[in-house]
Amino acid sequence: MEQFEQLLTCAICLDRYRNPKLLPCQHSFCMEPCMEGLVDYVRRQVKCPECRAEHRIPYQGVQGFPTNVTLQRFLELHIEITGELPDPTSGQIMERCNVCSEKAYCSSCQHCEKKICEECKGAHMDILRREIVRINNQIRRGIHRLQDALSMVEKNAQNVQTNSLSVSEEVEEIYRRLTKAVKDRTEYLRGELDRYMSSEVRTLTNLKDNLELEISNILSNCDLADKHINENVPWDDCELMDAKEIFLKTVDFIRNFEYENSDYSRKVRLVLAHDPNQLVLHVAGYGDLNIVNPSNPFGQGNTLQTPSPGLMRSKSDHRLATQFRQQEERPGYYGEGDDSTPTRKFGERANRTGDRYDRYGRSGNDYGEDYDDSSRPSRSSRYRSRYNRHGENDSDTEQSSRVRFSEQQHKERERVLDTEDVARGPLSGITRLADSPRVMKKLQESESGKKKEKEIPTPVPAPQPPKVVPKRPPPQANRQTSEDDEIAKIKKQNKGATTSTETETRHPSVKRDEPEDRHARKTPAPAEATSSAEESDESASTPQQRKAASKTVTPARRTSAEPPKKATRSTSSDSSSSTDSSNSSNAVRNTGAAYTTEEVKQKYLSRGSVDHTADQPSRTRVSSTSSNSSKDKPFQSRFLSNKTTPTPPPAVTKEEDESDSSSEEETSSESESEEPPPKETKEIAKSDIGPLLARSQLARENSTESTRKTSREETAYTAPRSRYGSQREESPVSKYSTRTRQPAPEEEPPKYGYTSRFLNKSKSTAAVQPEEDDKYSSLDDESKYPTSRSRYMALKERRQRLARSKSSHNFNDDDDPDEPLSPTSTNPSAYLASKGYGSASSAMNDLARSRSSHALKSRENSPDRSAGAEKDGAALSSWARYLKNKYGNRSTGKDKDSASSAATPSSASSSAAARRLSLGLPLRSSTELGSSDDDSKNMQGSPTTPTAATAAAAAGIAVATAGTTPRSQYLLKGQKLFEIGSRGSEAGCFTWPRGVAVGPDNHIVVADSSNHRVQVFDASGKFLKEFGTYGNGEGEFDCLAGVAVNRIGQFIIADRYNHRIQVFDPSGRFLRAFGSQGSSDGRFNYPWGITTDALGFIYVCDKENHRVQVFQSDGTFVGKFGSMGNKQGQLEHPHYIAVSNTNRVVVSDCNNHRIQIFDVNGRVISAFGSEGSAEGQFKFPRGVAVDDQGYICVADSGNNRIQIFHPDGTFLKSFGSWGVRDGEFKGLEGVAISSNGHILVCDRENHRIQVF
Amino acid sequence: MAALPRRIVKETQRLMQEPVPGISAVPDESNARYFHVIVTGPEDSPFEGGLFKLELFLPEDYPMSAPKVRFITRIYHPNIDRLGRICLDILKDKWSPALQIRTVLLSIQALLSAPNPDDPLANDVAELWKVNESEAIRNAKEWTRKYAMDN
Repeated sequence: MEQFEQLLTCAICLDRYRNPKLLPCQHSFCMEPCMEGLVDYVRRQVKCPECRAEHRIPYQGVQGFPTNVTLQRFLELHIEITGELPDPTSGQIMERCNVCSEKAYCSSCQHCEKKICEECKGAHMDILRREIVRINNQIRRGIHRLQDALSMVEKNAQNVQTNSLSVSEEVEEIYRRLTKAVKDRTEYLRGELDRYMSSEVRTLTNLKDNLELEISNILSNCDLADKHINENVPWDDCELMDAKEIFLKTVDFIRNFEYENSDYSRKVRLVLAHDPNQLVLHVAGYGDLNIVNPSNPFGQGNTLQTPSPGLMRSKSDHRLATQFRQQEERPGYYGEGDDSTPTRKFGERANRTGDRYDRYGRSGNDYGEDYDDSSRPSRSSRYRSRYNRHGENDSDTEQSSRVRFSEQQHKERERVLDTEDVARGPLSGITRLADSPRVMKKLQESESGKKKEKEIPTPVPAPQPPKVVPKRPPPQANRQTSEDDEIAKIKKQNKGATTSTETETRHPSVKRDEPEDRHARKTPAPAEATSSAEESDESASTPQQRKAASKTVTPARRTSAEPPKKATRSTSSDSSSSTDSSNSSNAVRNTGAAYTTEEVKQKYLSRGSVDHTADQPSRTRVSSTSSNSSKDKPFQSRFLSNKTTPTPPPAVTKEEDESDSSSEEETSSESESEEPPPKETKEIAKSDIGPLLARSQLARENSTESTRKTSREETAYTAPRSRYGSQREESPVSKYSTRTRQPAPEEEPPKYGYTSRFLNKSKSTAAVQPEEDDKYSSLDDESKYPTSRSRYMALKERRQRLARSKSSHNFNDDDDPDEPLSPTSTNPSAYLASKGYGSASSAMNDLARSRSSHALKSRENSPDRSAGAEKDGAALSSWARYLKNKYGNRSTGKDKDSASSAATPSSASSSAAARRLSLGLPLRSSTELGSSDDDSKNMQGSPTTPTAATAAAAAGIAVATAGTTPRSQYLLKGQKLFEIGSRGSEAGCFTWPRGVAVGPDNHIVVADSSNHRVQVFDASGKFLKEFGTYGNGEGEFDCLAGVAVNRIGQFIIADRYNHRIQVFDPSGRFLRAFGSQGSSDGRFNYPWGITTDALGFIYVCDKENHRVQVFQSDGTFVGKFGSMGNKQGQLEHPHYIAVSNTNRVVVSDCNNHRIQIFDVNGRVISAFGSEGSAEGQFKFPRGVAVDDQGYICVADSGNNRIQIFHPDGTFLKSFGSWGVRDGEFKGLEGVAISSNGHILVCDRENHRIQVF
Repeated sequence: MAALPRRIVKETQRLMQEPVPGISAVPDESNARYFHVIVTGPEDSPFEGGLFKLELFLPEDYPMSAPKVRFITRIYHPNIDRLGRICLDILKDKWSPALQIRTVLLSIQALLSAPNPDDPLANDVAELWKVNESEAIRNAKEWTRKYAMDN
């Protein structure tokens, strides 16, 4: 069998024959590349490697040789027998790789959209991988922003609750007061009335009685007189006199008696002080809720706004970006960095088919539509919609692309990682990679292997396109069904609860007067905080929070006998703790990388239903909880209606637990916390459908839920509890007040503080936050995916559109001249656009060929350029070739572009603005939002200014760390953080340190010039290693000056008195040296400063030759610029040099007392500074450094100070003076800016490095 | 930077898995195209018992062009000069892509067994070999002992 196999093996490639061609000598070889490699084109002969027979090549070339059919049959037979997989490349035709130009079996590369060979593809994937890693780091570094946001949200939620609570209490109190007043008055009036009436009646009855008596007396008198006053009765005179008197009196009385009617007819009337109608009106409208908009919507210390530049798009590889730009002109673009396929090509990669692997490509326009229309309808929450809205605006971020992926337009590249069933982040639309069946599969496959690749979203496409597709659906389907089932289950159980799963409308809890609401409102504060924290990550922290929340509730609920303190304490503490924990957990969780393999795996398994155990508990849990909840129907329905999404379960469970446990063990409320919940939640976390982000989406819902929960609890404990809530702040009158009041005080302050905010928040949070969130997420996305740039390009159009349509106010906010970041990020495209590809590419070509000549000058592409490039390619190092191919081939196309550049830049600028809006605005304080406008203008003006973002790795690192706004950061500079070294020659001491550079991990690399060595320190200044001694041999130095560290950690040293450059590997071993004294190309005269760009090109300040020379990383001369003089573009004793990640080459033109900025081709972009000691002036500037945002740091040696400039060269800050103390300098040399924003300064005469 | 062609990978693998008796070729750690080779002196030759170090480098267009091979250990051989350069046709014009590292090394080993003083590279050696073969062989043995035995 072995022999058999040997017979099927081509002697040249030692592989199985592919398309064996039979030579006349009867030997067979693969047609390509083997046979082709044998061809002697000059003699048109092919020499058989086996027998050395020479054969004439047929007219059609080697193809003309007959195919060895027999061999082919054998091959087939062999395949049948052994069952081995057919050669994946069989049937494919070799093509020239569009990158390296080698003939190979090419497949399309998502990264560059060209057909390229495996090798290059591997390289591209490597790039992508690296970028993903880098971006992931950025994300990690930036995730805290989300976490901050989360905590803000929590806080806000709390504030909202406290606020509304307090307001409701106020209302309540007013009500009470009013009613009391009314009642009191009424009673008083009534009493008065009664009194009045009774007294009147009494007098009247008296009167009546008297009158009756009088009447009867008188009548009897009359009768008696009638009867007896006559002669019949003997009356004596006295008696008659008396009788007469009596009668006279009677007559008198009757005559005079007058009933004073008026006295008794007076009426009582109710007199109102105010018009009753008015009064009613007043009372009826005795209060209103005023929602105050805080002046600064972003205000409130909300971290959301400080965007870290780090999250901005990765600027690396500006060249690629440029390419993308071009691409974007084509309809397709690709988006997402999901797939780790390497470098997108700038080119023209013919799409193999419009198949799914093809680019993402939608033109930006589709984007928006996708968003709105196609993105899953289910999430129609306002958040979502808002999000979408924003998404349209801003997102060139991955996420946006993500969002839309569900519907693919024919041209779009399929996103292999997309799974529709997967829950996405509500704000960002980011899916959890781990939710993608594809990813899971990949992971499982490579389980044994590298975890690193975990994050790499299955670059897959190329080799087995066919396979991929089939794979995908099944998992998806499973997933979906299960999810659906679950949802259904829950729904069923909740049936009492409302069914509108999707409506996430939030309750305007503020306005409710009903007691329930009040309770709800009351409790939510803690509960919501917890829930929100929890949503974002369902880590262990949640349970505790929950607990805490419940805990707080319980004590309060309990009798008044319980010390109120406890309640308060628990509330406050728990809320804080919840935030903390959430943050910490978030830190771990949120980053994509955070998933441990285990988790992922588990997830995968659970999904695959291989292992349901993990899932099961949570699920069952859910169901049970839901059933429980159904018991509480009334409340539930009310609160639940909002969200029935699956995520709630965790919360519910917990609740349930608590309610149960709490009822049982009211006394030991604490203990409950330790119980099962944590575990469960964890499980849920893992198995739960909602990925992290989804969770965050559900944050809203959860919060509502939490409300629900609380309410439920309350119902359980009903009356007292609710009352408690409502009365918390009430005046003493309320019965519970004593108990409840305690908590109130603590809570109050925030309440009031936030009142206005809260109200406003209800409006604005929704409006504002989402945006920010969007941005964040978008940032994340993009940072995650290195290729975001491409997406960016794709989106550019859209953005423009949006930018235009977007209300201008945003723009206003943003305008600020300084902002460096967005420019860089946007620049690449703008740059390219304006510059036209041609120049860039030509530059590349030139660089490549510069070997042979005059590189930098010729910018026009001659038609044969590409051909030339290819030719050159052979001669160049593979890296250079790689670059060249990448960029070089497109030159012709580029030129065309340049023609249209005028148009593009504007769009670019607007897009830049838009982008800034989207990214920058929320991310950083408005002042910093600066200059993107300016920059974009610049771009238009001088296309080369901003240049494309080379940013690349170095930038990436720097960017990420630079998180906070550099500007403010720099404004704060001037205080020494620490220093390294003192005079001496021991390790850690210096003798005239000159160059300083930042290496990987922020290592500090110092050219210890007069000790003829390089010393390396870690980021905190701890000595790590040194290398080099005096001499002129390999690895020896003579007063070295500049140091640089390239992106692969090699040290590049300007060995000054040896007039050469030396390169050392990261461990300090000598690799190579190049250059010697002289003034021709590649020779030096006291090389001084040195730097390297993201592509590894080495820039050397050739001081005494008054020029800058550029080399490839292998030392091949590439170009030079500058000559002695003081005119623009001329240099006199250039000392130090730095390259920004936008490929601006910053040179300290020492004796001209200025800084000049060149593009990579040596054209002057700008210059600033003049001799003097005012701000912005220099005396012999030496060290220069550029941070990732383009801020320029200059060691103004003659003035012994450090000056910091905006990217546009305007002065920002200076510090330092002559002296030996901290922050003082004597003889400045090199400076460097580390990725964490520290400024490293070589303080030569003080023999130290100072760090600011 | 460029990835290794499959052929080189295959050859390397095979060299590792099925080493040729008397020959070891190990790729350099940092450069897979550079091999450290040790060839034992063939039996019945003046070089018997010696371990000869060679370096072998696969050029960029290998296998379309021959590998570069050089003796590092000094050797007294008419076709190998002081610098260790080897005069062997298959390393020059007779190179064929069908040849491999192992075949090349075998050829070199064979060359040790069968010096070809008629196509000399080291003229003095070749001269002696032609004029006084036994002397030459003695020298070769001595050199072998001197340079190729200790290490």
